[in-house]
Amino acid sequence: MSILYDEGQQAIATESRRVLEARVSKEELLPLLETSGRYHEGYWTTAKEQGWTALALPEAYGGLDLGLIELGLIAHQAGRSLSGAPFLTSNFGAAKAIELYGSDDQKTKWLPGLASGETIGAVAFASGANALPARPALTLTGERLDGVMTGVAGGLAADIAVVFANGPGMPVLAVAELADVKRTAIATFDNSRLYADLEFAGTPAETLVTGGAAREAALHILALQAVITAHEQAGGAEAMMEIARDYAVTRRAFGQPIGAFQSIKHRIAEIYGLVELARANCIHAASREGQADFITAAAAARISATEAYDTASRDCVQIHGGIGVTWELGLHLHTRRARSLAIEQGNLLFWEDVLVDRLTGEAA
Amino acid sequence: MSDLDAYRSKAAAWLESMVPTYGKAARKGLSEADDLALARKYQKAKFDAGYAGINWPTEFGGQGKGHLEKVTFDTEEMKHGFPSFYFGISLGMPIPVLMQFGEDKAWVKERVLKALQGEEIWCQLFSEPAGGSDLAGLRTKAEPDGNGWKINGQKVWTSWAHYSDYGVIVVRTDPNVPKHKGLTYFWVDMKAPGVTVRPIKLVGGDSHVNEVFFDDVKIGDDHRMSPVGGGFAVAIATLMIERYVATDSAGFGPHLDLFVELAKDTELNGKPAIEDGRIRQQIARNYAMRSGLQSITARAMAMMQAGMTPGPEGSLNKLVAVRSRQKLSELAIDLQGSDGFTYDDHASQKEDWTSSWINAPTGRIAGGSDETLLNTIAEKILGLPQDHRPDKGVPFNQIPA
Ligand SMILES: Cc1cc2nc3c(=O)[nH]c(=O)nc-3n(C[C@H](O)[C@H](O)[C@H](O)COP(=O)(O)OP(=O)(O)OC[C@H]3O[C@@H](n4cnc5c(N)ncnc54)[C@H](O)[C@@H]3O)c2cc1C
Repeated sequence: MSILYDEGQQAIATESRRVLEARVSKEELLPLLETSGRYHEGYWTTAKEQGWTALALPEAYGGLDLGLIELGLIAHQAGRSLSGAPFLTSNFGAAKAIELYGSDDQKTKWLPGLASGETIGAVAFASGANALPARPALTLTGERLDGVMTGVAGGLAADIAVVFANGPGMPVLAVAELADVKRTAIATFDNSRLYADLEFAGTPAETLVTGGAAREAALHILALQAVITAHEQAGGAEAMMEIARDYAVTRRAFGQPIGAFQSIKHRIAEIYGLVELARANCIHAASREGQADFITAAAAARISATEAYDTASRDCVQIHGGIGVTWELGLHLHTRRARSLAIEQGNLLFWEDVLVDRLTGEAA
Repeated sequence: MSDLDAYRSKAAAWLESMVPTYGKAARKGLSEADDLALARKYQKAKFDAGYAGINWPTEFGGQGKGHLEKVTFDTEEMKHGFPSFYFGISLGMPIPVLMQFGEDKAWVKERVLKALQGEEIWCQLFSEPAGGSDLAGLRTKAEPDGNGWKINGQKVWTSWAHYSDYGVIVVRTDPNVPKHKGLTYFWVDMKAPGVTVRPIKLVGGDSHVNEVFFDDVKIGDDHRMSPVGGGFAVAIATLMIERYVATDSAGFGPHLDLFVELAKDTELNGKPAIEDGRIRQQIARNYAMRSGLQSITARAMAMMQAGMTPGPEGSLNKLVAVRSRQKLSELAIDLQGSDGFTYDDHASQKEDWTSSWINAPTGRIAGGSDETLLNTIAEKILGLPQDHRPDKGVPFNQIPA
């Protein structure tokens, strides 16, 4: 139970915050919303330079051999700064899938590129409302993939995708190269996440794991990503809380700061509660990687972080009054991100079910 | 197995061995007097086995162990329904404050040992009819009297005062200065002439809180635990201690496992309630909330163990947990339909949904109301402006009543 950050970990948090604050600005993020297919490239360059892509991967493949706790700290800062590109999560998920379930050859082939950030990975399990469908939308025949995968985060830019597919009579986790795959950008409220529909037509793919184990593996990868996303959500929620607080201290009405009105003040104090619970669950989940209760802890982190970010972004806008809904102020960047992150790794309903299945002993 | 795991299994085994004598079943049907007598024996047994004052200094009779051992033991203890709550306030706040601020160390040690063995109980005399949330608004006064002081006035909501031997008390010693500045902190002998205790019956049917009247109660100056006029700071120190004493992510109500059991055993429209999305959602959200609180507490304990000061997020515990307990208890009663009517005012709040529900409102007031907790978070942690306070800076005796 290592849940106190040590000095090295605290340094990672401070340094990543400094770097992100210096390189990501609202002025750059706003225009990204108006076109699809573009993301904050400066962020991705930063992520590569700083070694964030390599952070939680094994040294043997160019990684830094740190873990979910450290990557979570960076994700928290990424969430605060709205840095945009989804690759921190999906690149990590794809790499983990190959690291945990791939053969030595597959690891040698893919991991160094994913670690350096030269290769961009995505994870594509969902099918519409189903984060992990009983019957996946893709079919693997021999070593060829067919079918359409919708709403893949980072799908527009990814070089490879780890997919959940129907193999011969059983589910399978496979990795496919996307060079020849047809991609359609999705017009969305959060364009910088590069959501795309991917159309596989006889695309070459390599099997990682099959059968019942494939479903379990997919859930595990999803949970790893969910913990990172939850950190990002908690970071975003924290930023919204601080912005709301700062405004409530300075904006005046009826002769006093609006923060002196209890309807405003208590609202912000309630957000504080949600943010702290989310953070606590995130730290706990990150420290449980590899333990029997990891999925449970990941689900709890995901649930509380989703609630925190939605509430914080909603209330922060409200507290700002009219100015809160303007394009320029950019609070909507958080509102949008809160919603896109909420559905990216399986929605609240999905994680609630996963959690209750675990608590009632119904889980596989 | 880590040291802590070893500690846990040893404690669990010991607690298990106490169940036949002091557990739920043994207490069933006892009068409160008999239950208290049993509780004193249980507390003595804890002391003898080395499980009382786990994280207190050995110089005062504690075990000198860490906070982690203390929560570990408490978590295991909670499972069995032992009668330990009579000592909750006593060992929670007054005694730790006494160890910190009491001058006569030999006398303090004697009190600590007696309290740890269940022989003596202390209460906390802060609230008054006109000073609840507004703690500094209290009116009970102490005036110089020979070498000591003379107390007159009334306290209210004093938990366990009717069983208490001693109490810590905040009183006004100077009405001519602003309200926070004219307070002084003392201890009092609850059996002294002029002290009258009158029980108050609460919604749940029990009477563990009291009105306490002080009528020319004489105390020596050696009873003083703060500088004259410096009582508010010690009162705040007491409340700070309270922050991490009162941690139970179930909000002092039933454990979530019991709700899951209920949902598995109950049919809702012909299907097991556990399959109903609304029920599942409540289980999931409550679990996420409680696990967050547990993680906060665990982190705080690890910090204290490492000699650091935990963050302010510990103040969330009561606020968040009791509200959710209230709603979950309502849902549990709903789920039981007409079976939900039954009510037994001796049932445990930690196991019985109706008892949990009827007593939950008390939890949202006692130890600071939701509103004052939110104010504290907003003002002390987030730096938001204070409410408009017309009494600020005004001498106490000039504040309009
Ligand atoms: C079961 C129980 C046990 C207790 N045990 C003890 C004990 O052992 N020792 C002890 O000293 N005290 C004890 N108390 C007292 C407890 O601390 C007080 O009841 C509590 O602080 C609230 O004070 P009050 O009842 O005077 O309510 P009030 O202060 O009169 O509050 C009334 C309402 O006004 C709200 N309110 C007050 N001020 C504000 C504000 N600034 N902003 C917004 N809303 C506000 C409150 O939240 C509440 O809703 C106990 C209480 C209970 C119920």
